Amino acid sequence: MLNDIKVGLLGAKSSIKRGNKKTLTFIVFVLALIFINLVFLPSMIGGFSVMFTGFMQYPYGDIVIEPSMDNSYINNADNVLQKVRAVPGVTFVTKRLDAGASIQYKQKVVGSSIIGMLPSEEYGTSNYPYIISDGEFLGDLSRDEIIIGAMLVEGYFGSEIYDNLGAVRVGSFVNVTYSNGVTRIYKVKGIMEGTFELVDLNALMHYKEIEDVFDIGGSKATSVIVRVKNTDDAVKIKEKIISAGVKEQVFTRDEKSDAILRQAMQSIDMINVVSKFVSLIVGAALILIIIYINVLNRKKEIGILKAVGISPRSIVFSYAFISMFYVSMGIMAGLILYFFVMFYFTVNPVTFYETMTIIPEIQAGLIIQSIFTMLIMSVIAGILPAWRVSKESILKAIWGR
Amino acid sequence: MKEKILIRIKNLERHYKSGEGIVRALDNVSFEIKKGEFVAVMGASGSGKTTMLRILGLMDFPTKGEYSVQGLNVEELPEEERTYYRLTQLGYVFQDYALMNEMSALENVYVLSLMEGKSKKEAIATAKEALNKVGLGDKGNRIPDELSGGEKQRVAVARAIAKKPMILFADEPCANLDTHTSEQVLEVFKILNEKFGQTIVMVTHEPWHTKYVSRIINLKDGKIVSDKRRRNGFN
Repeated sequence: MLNDIKVGLLGAKSSIKRGNKKTLTFIVFVLALIFINLVFLPSMIGGFSVMFTGFMQYPYGDIVIEPSMDNSYINNADNVLQKVRAVPGVTFVTKRLDAGASIQYKQKVVGSSIIGMLPSEEYGTSNYPYIISDGEFLGDLSRDEIIIGAMLVEGYFGSEIYDNLGAVRVGSFVNVTYSNGVTRIYKVKGIMEGTFELVDLNALMHYKEIEDVFDIGGSKATSVIVRVKNTDDAVKIKEKIISAGVKEQVFTRDEKSDAILRQAMQSIDMINVVSKFVSLIVGAALILIIIYINVLNRKKEIGILKAVGISPRSIVFSYAFISMFYVSMGIMAGLILYFFVMFYFTVNPVTFYETMTIIPEIQAGLIIQSIFTMLIMSVIAGILPAWRVSKESILKAIWGR
Repeated sequence: MKEKILIRIKNLERHYKSGEGIVRALDNVSFEIKKGEFVAVMGASGSGKTTMLRILGLMDFPTKGEYSVQGLNVEELPEEERTYYRLTQLGYVFQDYALMNEMSALENVYVLSLMEGKSKKEAIATAKEALNKVGLGDKGNRIPDELSGGEKQRVAVARAIAKKPMILFADEPCANLDTHTSEQVLEVFKILNEKFGQTIVMVTHEPWHTKYVSRIINLKDGKIVSDKRRRNGFN
């Protein structure tokens, strides 16, 4: 076997060293494109997924607890908070109270969801405090203040797509009419910009204010948001929360995202799988054709090699090494090209749906998987034609039949 | 002392299908070749000489008959052992050089030694020695395209003799060469035979080649019509 490998390596080395360099360049270029095709789309999908997952953290944290089916509120949310805080792996917990309202500034009125929150607890629970592009985030005494989403404010990212409040700015006063008919005036304390509709079309207010407007004492909440130490453990922690005696509905972020994200991702994943499959078939066909033509052109040579005592196995090895070399070069060129493309799209992210920017995600696992897939494909595609010819009778091969 | 018999052929036949009939390329051929003989197998085109050489070189199978080398019935060897036997015991020089175009002369020669299991260093040393024997010691790094026809054939000879085969087969080795170059190649054979005792079986149709050989077997229509040993010849 070792002798077969040594002879195979010598055959491959001389074939590559003295073979046609233009053909080699062409093959490497095509294989590099195939490699790019294998890794680029998944990287973009990965970037999309990362972006979307990040957005879903705003409303749902890592785990969200919602009222049981028959209730509009979680009753005695403080009790729930206490139980959840005691669960190992939980880092932050807070309650929220959401309400529907219309916001008016001068003549312009828009409908919006108002999220009532405990501002100091949000620093550990969500990204809201960190996306204030103008003004400041709410404080624990901000009872008459409001944070407005950027898409509701003229001149901000994405505002042109939706009805907005016009030139409302930090310090402006807006009228908020709640779904129960109560109207109050608030000073705009900040404008938040998350570049995502689920965030930027909302407004934020103090939890106590919503509680007061709707006159719902007794520590009620529309959701309890939970952050965990390791997001991979979210499912386990969810189970522990339920075991801790929380009777309300408990969802992980992935579960909540199901309807919005997973369906979309499944479709994209399908496209990705088909695209990968086609790429691999094209790559395998390319290698197969190249090696097959090579083998056909050298049928006589192969016959002679066998006639002088070279084993069929070493002939097969030789072609396997040649195709592995082609693919390795293709992978290397593909990697260089890939990192260039990734760098370009990181600097110039793809804008999706006008408001979202997708930065492709470089996934080491995906790259390694693609490299192995291509190498295995090349070995199979390289071996098949050589194996077929090497099994032919010497005379048939020499006569080229 | 009794001369050692290397090859024994008995009632050898090779039939081919041709249209609806059968061609008897070899028809009841029997002979023996002793160690150190330089045999020319002669005959007109279609006489069966190349067919015979291919069977002797273990590239083809006889339809009938027996073929043994040093008493070993090589016909019965399984394919893998036939390949190994060709590698270690038999040398073969083809009419059209049959060199690997992308390998240098040296690589063309040492690839077989690598296959035999020698280290690269040993293989190269053996190949250089063989190239020196055929007068191409200084052209080892050239690829076949950079060599003349005669040089290519000498590389082919070097490849065949580097492993010191028991028998060297040559199938019209001078068919593509001019007279002067043919003489160079045949001189190499002559030296190998006389100086190193190499047993050689060469197919040729050129009568003047016979001055180099010790025995001539003539074939016609697949049958031996004459088998003569040179009395005052090289051996």
